[in-house]
Amino acid sequence: MATDRWLGLFFAGFAVLLYAVIVPWQADAVGYGFLRPRTMPRIAAVVIGLCGLILIFRPPGDARPGRFRWGRAAVFAGVLVAGLWAMSHLGFLLVAPPLALAVMLLAQERRPLWLALGAAGVPALIWFAVAVLLDRPLP
Amino acid sequence: MPELSVVLAGLGDAIAPGTILFVLFGVMLGQFVGAVPGIGPVMATAIAIPFTFYMEPLAAIGFLVGVNKGGLVGGAIPAVLLNTPGTPDAAATAMDGYPLAKQGKPLKATKMALFSSVTGDTFSDIVLITVSAPLAVLALRMGPVEVLGVMLLAFAVIAGLMGRSLVKGVIAVALGLLAAMVGTDPEHGTPRLIFGEFRVYDGLPLASVAIGMLAIGELLRRLSESTGAVRPAVALPEGQPRADRSVSWAEYWACRFTLARGAVIGTILGALPGIGSTAAAFMSYASARQAAREPSEFGKGSLHGIAATESANSSVMGANMIPLLTLGIPGSVSAALIISAFMIHGVQPGPFLFEQQGRLIYGLFGAMVIANLLNLLVGQVGLRLWVRVVTAPESFIFAAALLMCFVGVSLATGGLFGVGVMLAFAALAYVMTAFGLSVVVFIIAFFLGPRLEISLSQTLALLNGDPLALVNYPVALALFGLAGVTAVALARRRDTESETR
Repeated sequence: MATDRWLGLFFAGFAVLLYAVIVPWQADAVGYGFLRPRTMPRIAAVVIGLCGLILIFRPPGDARPGRFRWGRAAVFAGVLVAGLWAMSHLGFLLVAPPLALAVMLLAQERRPLWLALGAAGVPALIWFAVAVLLDRPLP
Repeated sequence: MPELSVVLAGLGDAIAPGTILFVLFGVMLGQFVGAVPGIGPVMATAIAIPFTFYMEPLAAIGFLVGVNKGGLVGGAIPAVLLNTPGTPDAAATAMDGYPLAKQGKPLKATKMALFSSVTGDTFSDIVLITVSAPLAVLALRMGPVEVLGVMLLAFAVIAGLMGRSLVKGVIAVALGLLAAMVGTDPEHGTPRLIFGEFRVYDGLPLASVAIGMLAIGELLRRLSESTGAVRPAVALPEGQPRADRSVSWAEYWACRFTLARGAVIGTILGALPGIGSTAAAFMSYASARQAAREPSEFGKGSLHGIAATESANSSVMGANMIPLLTLGIPGSVSAALIISAFMIHGVQPGPFLFEQQGRLIYGLFGAMVIANLLNLLVGQVGLRLWVRVVTAPESFIFAAALLMCFVGVSLATGGLFGVGVMLAFAALAYVMTAFGLSVVVFIIAFFLGPRLEISLSQTLALLNGDPLALVNYPVALALFGLAGVTAVALARRRDTESETR
């Protein structure tokens, strides 16, 4: 219940920010036409705000953030972001094997055969299918 | 109507061994590539086009049709087996397919998806072959006001999919619409909500948002829960009874009305340019749930749920060809790619196509029917292979799926920027799921948002500020009314179910 109330508060605040700051900053003010650039985002802001208020006063109580492993998810997300950053500098072929290995090790895989298959076999298969067979560039 | 000799000559061309072989290659390639998250039928068709440059026209177009149809079947595979749909329409299949796979019946779930897909596809092909011309004329009469009615009906249908909290469902819709507004405003052409990032001038890439939220978000959740012993991604019990491995005729026949409803919805929406298979899949799912005797079974591995979505999204493909072949208007990105293949081979689609290229068109119809049969045969073998693959440890499968998503999205969006967007939306999906906000509803709203805004803008322009002018659009009025009734009925049913729970 309390979580939903906080969620409602967040959405009510987000809606105000969206309506009063983000939309005027990020959508042009146009004085003509039938559906102006700010109209739809502002309608969305009003809807989000009203729903946020309803959540504050009538919380459904189905939020379950406590059941999620936020720490581990953040570690995986960090590995993926680091992999993306490395891929943009070094390319898929150099980054994919260590990225796959890191993900598998974090997912508790310790068997050498599976680790080798994941870190070497899968990137090689993707390279063959995409770069050789389909003749498309890898990232 | 072409002469019988032309029809027979065309069908004869279709059953030539060379044509059948190319259609078979297309189906195999489509099923394989379509099963890779991030690629899907559209990307598979785009990749396949250069291969057709030196082929005969019928072999080339038959090959592309095979790729497209194979891709539709392949797209359901990761959705059902790993709950990682690569496209929004496959997300609807995952809603019942994945729970059934989790019950240790992955082969049954994928087979039901295959049979439903082929059924829907065959139905729309028959409609295309027999009544395409009158349907195309009807589709052309659907102007912006009527399309707005269809869009509102699609949004009304979402009311049945919002989960336990209607308020959170509405928030998810509003957030999805907000994400859809990033890019250029459709009426004035000014940038909106882009925060100085001109790579999103054309909007957030659909592939990045859909795969990030549906596939990577789910992978992130399951990877974060992987502690202790490594389990197989999908458990396949030893000595499984035949009933759990296959779909019996009785089970298939029990879904006949669901399949027929899905095929009709998909064919009607497919004949309307620009609406697409996602709206068809979810509308069919919601209507099947509404019509079911036991709606509470939906979402828990119901064969009807799989039948509804797969028959609808696959029937869109054949129906997309109706405006393409009769009027030269592509109804979807896939159809636009096929039109480009026609042009590469010197064939100009349009009203005179049947007169000038009757033999080729009837050959194409034959190739489409053959592609459906081959889809069934290749699928029977391929599905066993995929099910075996996903019995590998989940650490391996998830790492492979992540790499494939990286490559698929990078190919679809033309660079790693799309992969960054994908990761951002995966994080959003993780947070939304934790707080009880429906990711699927967000995606549907994101997908339908731009079409809704365009049709609303055009409708307002047509009405010119006079709401009474709506009386000149009786079909649209009927659709608005239907949307209202549907929203109320689905919301009331949802409330009743919540009270029962």
